[in-house]
Amino acid sequence: MAGQQPAVRRGPLARALGQMRQNLWLQGVAVSSLAVTLAIMFAYVNLGLNVYAALERLSTGASVMVVLEEDAAPERGAELARLAAAWPEVLSARFVPKDEALERFRQQLGSRSGLLEGLARNPLPDAVEVRLKPGAAPLMVLGNQLKGLAGVAEVVTSRPWLHQLERAADTALEVGAVLGALLFIGVVLVVANTVRLAVYVRRDDLEIMALVGASLGYMRRPFLWETSLQCLAAAMLAMLLVWGLLAYFSAPLTLPLGLETSRILAFNPVIIPPFILAALAAGLVGSWLGVGRALRMKVW
Amino acid sequence: MVILHGVSKHYPQRRRPALDDVSLHVPPGQFLFLTGPSGAGKTTFLRLLFGAALPSAGTIRVGGADLGRLSPRQIPRLRRKLGVIFQDFKLMPRLSVFENVALALRVAGVKSRDLVERVERALRQVGLDHLAEAQADSLSGGEQQRAAIARALAHQPALILADEPSGNLDPRNALEVMKLLVAAHARGATVILATHDPALLDMVHGARVAKLEAGRLEES
Ligand SMILES: Nc1ncnc2c1ncn2[C@@H]1O[C@H](COP(=O)(O)OP(=O)(O)O)[C@@H](O)[C@H]1O
Ligand SMILES: [Mg+2]
Repeated sequence: MAGQQPAVRRGPLARALGQMRQNLWLQGVAVSSLAVTLAIMFAYVNLGLNVYAALERLSTGASVMVVLEEDAAPERGAELARLAAAWPEVLSARFVPKDEALERFRQQLGSRSGLLEGLARNPLPDAVEVRLKPGAAPLMVLGNQLKGLAGVAEVVTSRPWLHQLERAADTALEVGAVLGALLFIGVVLVVANTVRLAVYVRRDDLEIMALVGASLGYMRRPFLWETSLQCLAAAMLAMLLVWGLLAYFSAPLTLPLGLETSRILAFNPVIIPPFILAALAAGLVGSWLGVGRALRMKVW
Repeated sequence: MVILHGVSKHYPQRRRPALDDVSLHVPPGQFLFLTGPSGAGKTTFLRLLFGAALPSAGTIRVGGADLGRLSPRQIPRLRRKLGVIFQDFKLMPRLSVFENVALALRVAGVKSRDLVERVERALRQVGLDHLAEAQADSLSGGEQQRAAIARALAHQPALILADEPSGNLDPRNALEVMKLLVAAHARGATVILATHDPALLDMVHGARVAKLEAGRLEES
């Protein structure tokens, strides 16, 4: 079989494929260990971005809820919304009738919306949802002013601790970036060690190449190809794995604050291209370092 | 072609040096037998010449290059100017004979048409052209060594180093190998051949013989 190879050209990719065919178990070991590592990285970035997006939705969401008195007319609700929208710190204000609120709640519950079937009447009130401009001033004044208006039963605000949430989100982002970098380094190390195994398996061939005068680059190039192909395969596997796990775990469940697990556990296709690039980059760096180290220790 | 001056080689954890103050001048076109019993330092001597080990003391010049001053990047370039032959052939077992011979040219960047021509010529020289597409590990010992010689000759090196090239072969194949090296010598190559087998010395007329004894060089 090896004897029938076309003789004229044997570039690094051809040599890589040749040496990969000779050691299929090594490919299995490399791809599976890489896939596991990459899956951890992918799941981490995926979840991290989803949580961050959820926090952002929260902090720009309806941060003030103006609850109307039970007998207030819907027209009064619309009027209050117009009034509130005129204030400078308000981004938008919208009247949400209780039927709409119930329908939204039903959607958030997803498959568990059956829970609502037994209700004799809608327990939710009419309300005006007020969204504030980001970083707006303290709410006490605004809240009190809203509360003084006719037809308003109560003003519920979540803003004070939302500030803390935002700060927490920023810290989490920094911690997350550091952890992400560590995971990247982890992938590089896994690749470097896998490559050293590959070098070890092929030490006899490499010795011969070195003896007839192959440069380090000539010996290294097939390994770079090999690792790239392995990283691509492992990245695909990792994404499949994460996609499967997320699909399995993402039962629709609404957490406090309207955080929905199905959105946090959603597979985020936006990160596929950067993830593949990162996997390839980690593979090339790890392979470069691994082959260099393994070969330099030998002189032959 | 090869100049050694006061060369010693100590291996770590060895009390006695493998080579002890060896000086030698091999002019171009010479056929040099390096003899001596097993353990005398013959392999060490050759390994120093192709940059597989560094001397502990002394200077070595090969084809004008001072090996002590070569950077790791320059070692491959030195090796591309040599043809090295080993007792255990050192072929890539899964590649064809053609590819094994081509390797010596590919690492030097020789391309396509030129490469095919030169590989075929080298295979004709050793009488293996009919086995070009055979996988290397399917060959007999004698054929494998001829393939290895073809690889060493393919880029027409001015210096050929052979370490017990017939050590694993029966007398008929050993003779065959010696004939090929003599032919290469006749075409102008300098040859240094290490062997513990005195019977080989008679096969080459006018060859010089240098004897290693426990790391020390004695000329006869
Ligand atoms: N890599 C090595 N490490 C330690 N000692 C070695 C090594 N290679 C050779 N030697 C020692 O150096 C001496 C010369 O060995 P060698 O050059 O192989 O001799 P020869 O080829 O003549 O049989 C021997 O004593 C051998 O044990
Ligand atoms: Mg020896």
